[in-house]
Amino acid sequence: MKLLLVTSVDPWTRSVATIHKYAAAARGLGHEVAVFGEPNPELPDLPFTMDVAGVDMALFVMQVPSDLPDMPHLARFIDTLPREKRVVVDLWGRYNETIRLEHDFNHLEKLDGHLGWEWDEAFRAISGTILQPTLSPLRADVGSFLFHGYDAGSVLRNWDNAKEAATAWRAGGTDERPYGVMYIGSNWQRWEQVRAFLEAYAPHREKIGPACLMGWDWGKRPLWAIDKGLAGIDTDPAFLEDIGATVWNGARFDELLPFLCMARFVPVFHRPLFRHLGFVTNRSFETFYGDTLPVLMLPLDFVEAIYGPAALALVPEGDVGAHLSDTLDRPERAWEALLETRAHLAKHHSYARRFEQLAAIANAQGRAEALR
Amino acid sequence: MNILFVMKHRGNAGNTHAVADYMRVGKQYGHHVALYGEALPWLPDLNFSTDINAFDKVVYLFESELYRPNRLREVALLSRFARKDRLIFDMDGMYNPVIHLDRYDHNHTSQQQRDEWIEFFDSLADRVMKPTIARPTEPNVVPLVFYSYDPSLELARKDAPEKIYDILHVGHNWWRWKEIGGEVLPALEPVRDRIGEIGFIGLWWDKPPVEGPEAGPMEAFASDPAMIARMRIRTTDAVMYNEVVRTMSTAKINVFTQRPVLHHLRHLTLKYFEIFYADTIPLLMLDADHAAAVYGPAARELVLPGRVQEKVLDALERPEHYRGVVQDVRHHLAKYHNYTVRIEELVAAMKH
Repeated sequence: MKLLLVTSVDPWTRSVATIHKYAAAARGLGHEVAVFGEPNPELPDLPFTMDVAGVDMALFVMQVPSDLPDMPHLARFIDTLPREKRVVVDLWGRYNETIRLEHDFNHLEKLDGHLGWEWDEAFRAISGTILQPTLSPLRADVGSFLFHGYDAGSVLRNWDNAKEAATAWRAGGTDERPYGVMYIGSNWQRWEQVRAFLEAYAPHREKIGPACLMGWDWGKRPLWAIDKGLAGIDTDPAFLEDIGATVWNGARFDELLPFLCMARFVPVFHRPLFRHLGFVTNRSFETFYGDTLPVLMLPLDFVEAIYGPAALALVPEGDVGAHLSDTLDRPERAWEALLETRAHLAKHHSYARRFEQLAAIANAQGRAEALR
Repeated sequence: MNILFVMKHRGNAGNTHAVADYMRVGKQYGHHVALYGEALPWLPDLNFSTDINAFDKVVYLFESELYRPNRLREVALLSRFARKDRLIFDMDGMYNPVIHLDRYDHNHTSQQQRDEWIEFFDSLADRVMKPTIARPTEPNVVPLVFYSYDPSLELARKDAPEKIYDILHVGHNWWRWKEIGGEVLPALEPVRDRIGEIGFIGLWWDKPPVEGPEAGPMEAFASDPAMIARMRIRTTDAVMYNEVVRTMSTAKINVFTQRPVLHHLRHLTLKYFEIFYADTIPLLMLDADHAAAVYGPAARELVLPGRVQEKVLDALERPEHYRGVVQDVRHHLAKYHNYTVRIEELVAAMKH
C-alpha cells in the first residue's frame, strides 16, 4: 500500500511518534508511507513528498486545523487526488456534536476560531470515510480505526518471565530509577485526575519514592490559558511542593522512552473528552515500551477491550496509594499482567495489523464508491 | 444559476456594492447570488450564506490581499466546487507581471510576492477574469467588466438631496494623492475663492491608517494635511455602499480618480458607473481615449487631465450644458453596460 499521511508534524507534540511508527513499519512490511509536505530537517527519519501520483490512500490525520496543508498545496491536493482515495481519521473527536465535559471540549471557538459545524463540513468534504480512534464511535457514519499502535520492537527491555522482571524492578536503585511515580504528558485537561492520583499517592510517598510530572505547564498555569480564560490547564505548585514532586518540561518524541524507565510506576491518564469517547492515544500504547509498571487510570471496560483482560490488574482497585504500595510488596502479579498485556498488544495492535485494517478500509471504500 | 462569492466583506467598498447589485438584479434573471459567510448586522440588505451545497458555482473575488476563509472552510469549498466550477476575479491587477508606475503605485512589492499570488491563483482555477477593457495578455485571462449600469438607479434631480458641495471626491485615499495633490488641488488653489465647499469623503485623506504599515504601503496613504487645511477642504469618513450615490448627489461636481495601476491596466471599477447614477456632474481624471472607450464619445468633454481649473469653472458656470453631456453618457452606459449584458457575460463565463 502506498499511504500518504496528510497532517502537520511537530517533534514536540501530537502524533509525531505514531507517524514515525507508520513510516518505520511500512519499510518492513512492503508498504510505502510518506507525509505530505516539504522535508522537515527536524525530522530526518520521516519521508515527505508533494507527489500524490500512485497513492492508494491519503489519510488525513486530523487534530488541529493546521493539519490540513496550506494553499496553494491544498487546492492542488484536493483537485488531484480523488475523493475515494481520501480518508479522515479524527483523532480529537471533532466530528461529533459539541461536547463539554468538566473543562474539556472538542470544539472551542475562542481557542482556535472554529465552530463545530466547520469541522463536520470540512471532514465530510474531504472524504466519505471518517474514522475515529475508538472501538465505539458515537456517530453512525463514523468508522472505528484506532490509528495509534504498539510496536513490540520498541520495548526497552524484554523479560523472559514476570518473576525475573519483578526482581530486577524491585532491586533497581535510585540511580537507575530516581522516581517512584512519573507522569509523562502535558498539562492539558488532566489536572483533576493527576491531583487525585497524587493525593492518593502522597501518604505512601516515602515507600514508593518521589513523584515527577514531565510535560508542559505543570509548574504554573500558563499565561495563554489565563488570557483566554481556559480552565482545565490548572496546577497547584504549593501542593506539588508539599509532596516533593519534581516538575520537568516536555521532551521531543524521540527522547522520551528513557524517561519511561526512570520511575517504578507510570500512570496513564486520558483527558475527559477521550475517556468519554473511548479514544486511544499514542501514550495508550507507548507507555508499555518502558521498563516500568503502567498504572492504567482508565475505565475498566476500556482497559479490557483495548489491552485485554490481563491488563485489569494494572488498574487500581479503590485506593491508588494502596495499589502502588501493595504492588511494591508483591510486584510479580503486576509484571505478569504487564507481560501478558504486551503480548496482547503485539497481537492485536501492531502496526502490521493497522496496515491490514487500512487495506480493508480502502477496499470497503472502493466497493462503496463502485456501488455509487 | 446559484453563485457564491468568496470575498472580503467591506460595506464601504465598491466590490461589495457590485455584488449587492448582482444579488438584486440576478433575481430578475433567475439567478441567486450570495456572499460566503455569516450575515453581518451592518449589511442587512446583503445575502450571506455558508450553505455551500446550495450553490452551483463559486467566484473568488480578490482585491489587493489574498482573502481566505479559514482552513476548514477553505477545504470544504475546494472539495464542494470542482475546479471547473471555480472562477477568479482579479480586481486589483495582481495576476500580472510586477508593475511599478513612476516609483509610486504598484501591484506587487517584489517578484517573490507576485509569484506567490500567481501560484495561488493557478492552484485555484483555470481562468482568471479581469474587469478590464484591455486585451488579455495570457491565454487563461478573460476580460469581463463585471460592473454594470442600471438606469433605474439614476437619482432624479427632484429626489436628490440639497447641494452642499461645489466639488466632492468620494473614495478612499488609496494611491490617489499623486493625482489629487499633484494636479487637481494645485489647479484649484488659485481659484479657491471662486468655488464653494469642497469635500473629500473617504478614509485616510488627512491622516494615514491607525494600523500603520499593516494596512498597506504607507505611500499609498500619502497626503498633505496642510494643503487640505489651507484649501478649506472638508474631510469626512467613508459612507456605506448604499449611501454612495446619494452622497455624491450632494455636490454639483464629483471628481473621479482611479488608482494609477488600475488605470494603467484599463481596469474598470464600480465607481465608473455609480458616479453616473448620482445627480451631479462627474469630471474624470482619465485619459480621453479611455474615457471614450468606456463611456462613449461624449465623455471626452468630461475629462480633466491638463485642464482641471478650466473644466471645473466651466462646469460650475454652465451646469445645464454638462448635464446634457452626462445624459449622453448615461445612454451609452445603459446600452452597452447594462445588467442584461453583464449577467449574460458572467453566466457564459461560468458555463465555459
